[in-house]
Amino acid sequence: MRLSTGARRGTGALLTLLSAGVTLLAGATGCAGTDGGPEAVSPITVRVLVRDINIRAEGVDCAGTGPYLYFHHRAPFRVLDPDGAALVTGTLPAGTAVAAFAEDLEVERVPTYCEFAVPVQVPQRAGYRLEVAGRPALELTPDSSEGPALVAVVPA
Amino acid sequence: MRRLLAALLAVLLLAGCSAGPTAETAPVLAGGASTLPGPVPADLALRPPPGTAPAAPAFTGALTDGTPLTAAGLWADRPVVFTFFSSWCTTCVARQDALSELARRHRDRVVFVGVAGADQADELQDYLRTHRVEYPVVVDEQQTVWRSYAVREPPAVVLVAKGGALLRGWPGGLDAAALEQRIGELVLAGSG
Repeated sequence: MRLSTGARRGTGALLTLLSAGVTLLAGATGCAGTDGGPEAVSPITVRVLVRDINIRAEGVDCAGTGPYLYFHHRAPFRVLDPDGAALVTGTLPAGTAVAAFAEDLEVERVPTYCEFAVPVQVPQRAGYRLEVAGRPALELTPDSSEGPALVAVVPA
Repeated sequence: MRRLLAALLAVLLLAGCSAGPTAETAPVLAGGASTLPGPVPADLALRPPPGTAPAAPAFTGALTDGTPLTAAGLWADRPVVFTFFSSWCTTCVARQDALSELARRHRDRVVFVGVAGADQADELQDYLRTHRVEYPVVVDEQQTVWRSYAVREPPAVVLVAKGGALLRGWPGGLDAAALEQRIGELVLAGSG
């Protein structure tokens, strides 16, 4: 098929418009084509260990203590990538008191730390950080000793 | 006649306008002034506090509706139970209904006072209404009262004798049955 110059210009403009429309639609739905499809995510557990060595019964619900009280049930958190983009948002569950030392002290209440464990799904990134209640973000370190996890220790 | 009707209409309209909108009544906040105790019952009999008990830290705080509360003013008349809590504290939630009932049973004889720390006003109100907390609640936003009683996380319970002697504190709190037993043993004469 042969087109005149004017017709070719008109067709070119139409194709450009169609192309732009498809791009806009793809962007709005999150389906950017084969290159930008939904990003693969992996299940992993974010574990926060608040090492406050507070005296508690092992296994009871807990919060961080003193200056770390903002680590508590229902506190909002975000998992961030190295550029600061939020990958996951949510709220913390209650923490669980874990004995800080292996020795049997023969008392009900023992020195403990407070552990929060949150299952999340995150895309692959070079690093991750955890922000809780709008406070400065903490580095999350990969750790597979108890299953795939990203771990933050407070105070580090 | 028309003039009379017009005049009547004008009077009615003016009366309607001058009444203005219905005055909005402020909602009664749970934990506020309406929960302060009444007179001490005449038959209240108390155990003498041990002479070795230290003095409880005195403080003045604000209730949920801003009413000032002076702790020493309460324990001048009767024993006081302080419950340190937060609406997000799962152990507090689990125990609160029974503690609220215990406080009702002892109302005016042993005063319960909640001290809420690290909380949001709307979430605190939801908590107090859900669990029928009918005693005064101090809002301790910066946890200054918590720190003065060495409370590091909720829950915690402190028992103060009439006169201000600090009898016992329980980090981690107590359930209602255990607290009732300790109140009987430590402050109420003729029980426990």
